[in-house]
Amino acid sequence: MTFEPVLLRRTSLPRSDSIDVYLANDGYAALARALRDYAPGELIGLVKASKLRGRGGAGFPAGLKWGFMPQSDGPKYLCVNTDEGEPGTFKDRELVEKDPHQIIEGAIIAAYAVGAERAFVYIRGEFFQGIKSWIKAIADAYARGFLGQNILGSGYDLEMSVHRGAGAYICGEETAMISSLEGRRGEPRLKPPYPAEKGYWGQPTLVHNVETLANIPHIVNHGAEWFASIGTEKSTGPKIFCVSGHVYRRGVYEFPLGISLRELLYEHAGGVPGGKAIKAVIPGGASTPPLTADQLDITLDFESLEGAGSALGTGAIIVLDEDTCMVDVARRSARFFAHESCGRCTPCRVGTQRAVDVLEAIEAGRGVPEDLDRLEALCHGISGNTFCPMGDAVVSAIGGTLVRFRDEFEEHISQGGCAAPA
Amino acid sequence: MPNVRVTINGVEAAVPANITVLEAAKFAGIEIPTLCDHPAIEPIGACRICLVEIEKQRTLQPACTFPVFEGMVAHTRSEKVVEARRFVLDLLFSERNHFCMFCQMSESCTLQDLAYEYELDHWKFNRPMPKFSVDASREYFVMDHNRCILCRRCIRVCDELVGNGTLGLKNRGADSMVTADMDVPFGESSCISCGTCLQVCPTGSLADRASAYMGATAQIDRVKTRCMACPVGCGTELIVRENRVIRVEGDWDAEPNKGLLCEIGRFVPLHEKRNRVRQPMVRTDGDWTEVEMEEALGLMNEKMREAGDDVATIVSGFVTVEEGKALAQSPGAKYLMHPIASEQSTAKQADLDEADLFVVVNTDMTEDYQVAGFAIKRGVRQRGARLLLINDAADGEAADGEAADGEAADGLGDWAMRRFGPEDANQAVSIARGAQMPVIVAGPDGAKLATELADQIPDAKVLIYTPGGNSRGLYEVGFQEAFEGQEAAVYHVVAGEISRISPELLEQLRQGGTVIVTTSYREPWDEVADLIVPMPTTFEKSGTTVNADGMVGQVVVGVITRAVPTNEIFNSLAELAQ
Repeated sequence: MTFEPVLLRRTSLPRSDSIDVYLANDGYAALARALRDYAPGELIGLVKASKLRGRGGAGFPAGLKWGFMPQSDGPKYLCVNTDEGEPGTFKDRELVEKDPHQIIEGAIIAAYAVGAERAFVYIRGEFFQGIKSWIKAIADAYARGFLGQNILGSGYDLEMSVHRGAGAYICGEETAMISSLEGRRGEPRLKPPYPAEKGYWGQPTLVHNVETLANIPHIVNHGAEWFASIGTEKSTGPKIFCVSGHVYRRGVYEFPLGISLRELLYEHAGGVPGGKAIKAVIPGGASTPPLTADQLDITLDFESLEGAGSALGTGAIIVLDEDTCMVDVARRSARFFAHESCGRCTPCRVGTQRAVDVLEAIEAGRGVPEDLDRLEALCHGISGNTFCPMGDAVVSAIGGTLVRFRDEFEEHISQGGCAAPA
Repeated sequence: MPNVRVTINGVEAAVPANITVLEAAKFAGIEIPTLCDHPAIEPIGACRICLVEIEKQRTLQPACTFPVFEGMVAHTRSEKVVEARRFVLDLLFSERNHFCMFCQMSESCTLQDLAYEYELDHWKFNRPMPKFSVDASREYFVMDHNRCILCRRCIRVCDELVGNGTLGLKNRGADSMVTADMDVPFGESSCISCGTCLQVCPTGSLADRASAYMGATAQIDRVKTRCMACPVGCGTELIVRENRVIRVEGDWDAEPNKGLLCEIGRFVPLHEKRNRVRQPMVRTDGDWTEVEMEEALGLMNEKMREAGDDVATIVSGFVTVEEGKALAQSPGAKYLMHPIASEQSTAKQADLDEADLFVVVNTDMTEDYQVAGFAIKRGVRQRGARLLLINDAADGEAADGEAADGEAADGLGDWAMRRFGPEDANQAVSIARGAQMPVIVAGPDGAKLATELADQIPDAKVLIYTPGGNSRGLYEVGFQEAFEGQEAAVYHVVAGEISRISPELLEQLRQGGTVIVTTSYREPWDEVADLIVPMPTTFEKSGTTVNADGMVGQVVVGVITRAVPTNEIFNSLAELAQ
C-alpha cells in the first residue's frame, strides 16, 4: 500500500517545526476557515461526522467528547495531552518536535468549537526538545495572531501555555493530568464527574491527545467525508504507528487504519533481522495484550484488534522475535507498571509489586508451579477492581502474556530458568 | 431530596437519592467494611475493601464512592465480593509488617478484625517485608510506617478536619510513605498534637504511647463525657480499662467538636506530671502533714467561721455547675479565677461551619480555643470564607495588613485577609457588610467590641470565649466577677486540675490571709496554701458544664475514686452561711 501521509506530511521538510514552513504548506488555513465559516456547533458536527476516534489509547469518539462539553458560559478549558509515556510509543514526540503548529492549529479549532478560553499543553517532563518546541511554537503563534485576543479578527480569544510534567506515566490519564496541572499529586480522580463536567479547577475541560488534535485541521480543510473515506468503516482516518523491537526499520509510519500488520512489518518496516520468525507482537503499547505469530494478518484498526482480544492502544507496535523470552517481557511490563502505580488503590499498588516478585522468581529459576496460580489470582483480583483503568492495563500486559505463552512460563518453572538464548 | 428505592442483600429500602451505597447500606442495617473511608471525611475509594456487587455494573464498585440510583440492586456479601475483599486483604498483609501478635494495637485494629472476619488463615503471596522507620519523635504518639496500609485517613483528617495540613504523602506506588511537612521528623513538623490522626488510624501505624498494648477492644469501656479545659466544651470519649483512663478520644457524635480534640483535651490529662492530692494536707511550721478528711473539714469550717464574711471563694473553670451552686452558698465574696465578660454569645459554635466571614477580636483561636480555631481554618481553607483579625498587636498597621516588626502574629495570621487595630474596626465593618453569614468571635477583652460590631453588621452573630471550661456556667450560678487581687482574710481556691495560673494570683495569695485550696494536684498550690483538700478530676466526677455558646454538657464519671465528692465538702461550707 502506498499512502500519501497526512499528519507526517511536513515532517521531512527542512525546518519543519518553524511557523514559516508551516504557513507555506497550508498552515493555519483550516483555522481561518473554521473561524470564518463554522459556528462552534457545526464544527462539533463535522468532527462527529468524520468519526475520528481518540489516538491516546482509549479510542473514544472525539466528536462525542466535544459534544459532552456544556454550552454554558462559565470558564472552560482545553488540555493538550503530550504526556506520551506508554512504552513503545513515540508518535506524539515526532509531531511536537517536527510539526507543532499542526497541533496548535487543531487545538485552537477544538477550543473554539467547545468555547474554551484557555488551553494548557501538558508535556512529559523528559521531552526536553518537545518542551522547547512547544514554547517556541506557541510564542510564534501568538506573534502571528493565531493565539491571544481576537484571533484572526474573529473576536475569539484563546490563551495557551505549556506545563511540564514531573515524570509520572499516570499523568497521561486525563483526570490525573488535571490534578497535576492544578499542582496536586498526579493521581486519577473519581469518575464521574468526567472532565467535560468538572475538570480543571472544577470547570468543564476537554482533554485530547496530540495526534487526535493534529487530525482536526485536515478534517476542516478536506471535510468529514474525505476523512471517513480513509481507513475502515468504524476506524477512520490516518494513524501513526510506532514500530519498534525486532524489525529492520524502526520508526514512525503513517497509514490508514486497517492496514495489515504483516504488510506494515514486512513491506514497510523491513521484516525481522536475521530472517528470524516473529514470536509475538504487542500492537498498542505495553498495556495491550500481545498477538501471536499466527495473528500477523490482522488489520490494525480498533475493531479487529478488540476482536482478537487485544487493542489498538496508541498504535505502538513492539515486535518480538522467536528468541524472545516472554517471561522477561511480562516481568519488564510488570516492573514498569509497579514503578508507575500512583499508590492510591491497593490492587494496583500492591498487586503490581507481587506480580513483579512472582515473575522475577520464575525468570530467575526460583519459580514453583503455584506461582502461576498466584499470577492468575493477581490478574483476576486486579482486573476491574482498581481505582482507574491502569489496573486493566497491568492485567492486559501480564495476564495477556501468560494466557498466550503459558507453556513458556511452565518451562521456566520445570527447567529452573530461561531456555531462550540470552 | 427525593428518595430512591434500593435493594441491598434482599432488603428493600427507600433512601435519599444523593447518598452512596455505603450510606444506603447503613440505612438498611447492613455493614460494609471500610479502611480508607471514614464518615467524617470525604471518600476516596482507595483501599477497595468496600467493593460490592451492583447489578448491571460490569465490575465490582466501591460502596464508599458509588452513588445509589433508583432500582439499584446490590449484594455486599456475594461470593465475588468476598473473594475480592480477601484478595485486597491478602495484598495489604503482604505489603508491610503485619505480625499482629507484636503490634501495640492488636485486638483494637480494623485490619486485624477484617482478617479474622474473612478468614485469612495463610499468606497467599510472599511477604518481602521491607523495613521502614519508626518515627518516635513526637511526645505522645509514634508513627510506625511498618504497620501503615496507606489508607490516608491521617492525611485527610489533618487537612479536611483540622485544617493543619501537616501530613502528606511522599513518593508513589509501593514507595508511598506518609510524611510530615516537607519530609521532616514528625516531632519537628508543624503538627499541633491534636491527635486526630491517631483516632482514625485503622491499624497500629499511629499509636498512642500511653495506651500502647493496652487497648484491646474486649477489655475496655467507653465513657462519653465532656472536656472542661476550655469553653469550647468538646465531647470526649474516655477509653477506660480496669478503672483507669488509658486514652481520650473525641466523640464523633458530639457538638461542637464532632470528634476532634486538641492536645490539652486528648493528651495532657494522661501525661500529668504533677503530684496528685489524695489526702488533705495541713501546713504547720512550713511542713506539710497529711490529715484525715474530717479534720481538714473541721479546720476549714473553723477558719471560715473566724473570718465571717471576709472570705473570697475563687473558682476555676474545672468546677462543675453543681459544685458551683454549692459553693455559691458559702460565705463571702465569689470570684472566677479567669477574666469574664458580661456579653453573651448569640451564635452557636456549629455556625462556625456555616459562616462565610469571620471577625476574630483579641484572641488567638489557634492557641486558646483550638478546636473552634480548627473550624475557622476549615472555613477559610475549604469554603473560601474571609477572615478578619482585630487585635491590639495589629494597631497602626491596618493599611498593609502586615504584622508589625517583631510582633508575634496571631496563629490565624496566615489565613487572615486583613488585620486591624481596634480603632480601625470600622474598616472591618465595611468589609463584613454584605457577608451572608458573618460570625464575630472574641476573647474576654474583645467581647464588648465584638458586640458593638455585631450591631453594625447585618445578620452578624457573636461567639464570646472566656477562659475556663465552665466559666459561663459558673457565671450563671453567681460567680460574676473575675478575681483581681481583692483582699480577704480567708481565700478558698477551688482549682480542680487547672495548671495555667496567673503569677499575679499566686503573688496575691502569698501576701497573706489563710489560703485553702481544693485541688486535684499539689502544684503549684503547695507554695501558697495553708490547707490543701483533694478534689476529683474531670474523669472522676459527674455534673454539668456550660460552654461558650451556652450548651449544657454532661460530665460523666469514668473512673471511680475514694475521693470525697466535692459537693459534700462544699455543702458543709454552705451550712456555715446559714
